[in-house]
Order: sequence, then C-alpha cells, then structure tokens
Amino acid sequence: MNIAEKISANSFKKKWKFSDIIADPVVRDRWEKVKKYFYLRESTYDMTNRCNMKCDGCYYYAGEKQFAKENDNPEDWRRLMKEEKARGITYVVLAGAEPSLTPELCRVCYEEIPAGCIASNGYKKIPESVGYKIHISVWGNDETSRKVRGAKGLLLKQIENYQNDPRAVFVFTFTKNNIDEIHDVMEMLAGHDCKATFNTFSAPLQYKGDLRHNTESLARTRKTMMDIMTQYPGNVLFSPYSVVAHTHIYGLHDLYGCSYPRRNPLTDIGLGRSFRQYRTDLRWERDASCCVPDTDCADCRHYAAGSAVVTARLYRHATDPETFKSWLDYADTYLAVWVMGYEKGPNLVKYMKAPPGFDL
Amino acid sequence: MAADKKIILRVAEILINELKLEDVTPETFDPDTDLIDELGIDSMDLTAVVLVLQDEYNITINEEDYPKLSKIRLIAEYIENKLKEK
Repeated sequence: MNIAEKISANSFKKKWKFSDIIADPVVRDRWEKVKKYFYLRESTYDMTNRCNMKCDGCYYYAGEKQFAKENDNPEDWRRLMKEEKARGITYVVLAGAEPSLTPELCRVCYEEIPAGCIASNGYKKIPESVGYKIHISVWGNDETSRKVRGAKGLLLKQIENYQNDPRAVFVFTFTKNNIDEIHDVMEMLAGHDCKATFNTFSAPLQYKGDLRHNTESLARTRKTMMDIMTQYPGNVLFSPYSVVAHTHIYGLHDLYGCSYPRRNPLTDIGLGRSFRQYRTDLRWERDASCCVPDTDCADCRHYAAGSAVVTARLYRHATDPETFKSWLDYADTYLAVWVMGYEKGPNLVKYMKAPPGFDL
Repeated sequence: MAADKKIILRVAEILINELKLEDVTPETFDPDTDLIDELGIDSMDLTAVVLVLQDEYNITINEEDYPKLSKIRLIAEYIENKLKEK
C-alpha cells in the first residue's frame, strides 16, 4: 500500500472541506500568516572547503564535495547570485564547510539575495552587516563538544558571540549519546535569553561512528524534546508536530516523500525543479542536490530537510482541522527559525499528532 | 477540448485571490499563460489554489496531477473532466 492509499484507507469519517478547516479565525489567521512566505525558493551553497573544527558525523566531510576547489572570488559569487535571482531563487542557505571563514562572500550573497540563513559552528562571529539568520550548531555540553568536535568551552564562546543577536538560533543536535545534555545546555541558553531549536542527528553515508539513533534513543529524544519545549516555551522554537516528524522511527523520506532533487525525479514544479546545491567551486549536480548532501536518506531526520519536506506536503495535511493545525505549527516553527523578523505564534496543537497515513 | 469560459474565469479569479496577483482581472488573465514558467508559481502556491478549487467544484485533485495544471485553460479542462466523471 503506498502512502496515498494508506492516507485514504485511514481517512477520516468526515470528509472536510478546506473552507471548513480554516473557518476558525485563529486557524485562518495563521494560514494567512504562513501563506505570505510561499514565495520563498531555496537553494544552498558551500562557501568554502575549510573549517576550524573537525566534528564526528559532519556531513560536509563525507562524499566528493569536500574535494571541490574553493572559489573565493567575490565577483564570481556575485555573478552566481545574480543568476540565481534571475532563475527565481529568493532564499539562500550558506553552509559547508564553515561560512564564517568567508565573511566577504557572505556579504556579497546578502547584497544580492537578502533572505537567507548561514549554518555556522559559531566560533567566529559573522559580521552584523550580513543580515541572514544564523544557525549555530550545538552538539552537547562542553565535555561532548571537546570529544566530538575537538572544541573547548564552545557553548560559552557561541553565546558570547551571538547573545542578543536577533539573527541567532542555536540548533541542538540530538545524537544517540547526548540526549540528557540538553537540560544543562538549555538552562545556559535560556539564562542568556537565547533562542534554540532542535535537530536530530542524521548519519552521513558510510558513517561508522556511534552517534546514529536507534528506536530507543529516538523515543527518549521525543520525550525530552516535549519536556524541554514545555519547560522553556519562550526560548524553544519547536512544536509537538515537529517533534513527531523528527523522532519518528521512519525517516522523513519514508514519512513524507523527500521533495529534494536527490530523491525526487520530477522537474515540473517545486523543489525538484528549482533547488540546487552548489559546491564551493560553484558547480552543482542534480543527483547530489539536497540540503544535507551525503546524508543517508533512510536515516534523514535533519531539521533543514524537514523544513522543506514536511512543509511541502501541505496537501496531505489539509484533511481535518487537527492535522492541518499541526502542519501550521510546523510551518510557523520553520519560518521563525529560518526567516529574519518572523515571529512564531503559540502552537495550535499541544499534543503529538501522527503524520498522515502513519501511527505515532 | 475547449474549456468552459465560466470555469476559466472562475479559476482565474481564484488564482488572483489566492496568490494576491495585481494588475490583472479574470477577464484580462490570459488562460494560456504558463503559471510556472511565466508567473513563477510553485507547488505551495498551486496547493493553496487546489484546496479552494476542490471545495468549489466538489472534486479531488491529486498531487500527482500538479504538473498537468500549468495553465488556467488546462486547469479548467481538468476540472471539466473531473465533473464529467462524477
């Protein structure tokens, strides 16, 4: 039975009209709020092949892209950004390996396409003139950071660089081994009034390390995420449906059908048509294009992937009020994490709703 | 197959409302404009339109059929076919 058949088989006794689902003014307002951002068209860019850390499980140093020759010519980047804009790209994600090492290139990108996000380890501050969201990766407490990333006193350094910076969102990656560390980390982040969101470790292809999740660790992560959300409602940007999507025993591709070109052969419309993942030599390949290339798709629960994959499945969630509200919470969360100036509203659904066609 | 003018106008009206299009009316909207190539609409925009069309005509539009819905005229023909199947 494919996903569509399962959804149909599990279908709800009442067949809802969409106009009835959004008849509630609170739901309608949230729908209108979220819908304004449907114009965002994303692509991602590796800025350099250098990094000032070496982390276990880093997706950048898996596969071929790490060997791309670095192009550090700002004018080449400006030309690329102009071409990207011309083909309809309105949102850029600057990632790999460590974009803070190329501030001039980040500035050029920002000048050409002013909506976007930078994924950084936060050790070196990105100039405030680059007005993108900045996602600062946190992989556990100090001891774990020393062990997994070879970085000493990293969290304090990250906070020092980005406290009171409206661009900053701290992204705590739950691995199999660091689940309980979120308590100390979150206490420190909340104590400095920092915003945080959650990621689930998604193993790169051929990963042999010890961080990959199993059924037990996913269940513990799920419970912990829910607890922390309740404990720090003003600091955590997440929703119960985000928890479900990112801690399910099935990965994002199995649950929703990944819409990135790497897993999606359709080129007519959507991400399959527009998304590209550029390496630092400014080249791209369709078969390698997704937001976290060289991740094992079967294990992918990555927050960046979900932001596009779950959101793109709007149609499957417009079946009944609770499922749709859960999707709205997910979309509201993703926009607050990724878009400068977007403020997250209160979650409309406080409990965990199963994805369409699946159990919890 | 020539699509019904009334359906074409109504689809155009829904597109204009849902996508907040300016400087165009249902009457001036060329039904052969390529919505994806020329207007730059994406799958999310199209879903927002599809959800309204489903309500309006009491039909189901499958996600897999989105690539067929690239012009107002094609959408109108698709709706007509669905209505005939009922």
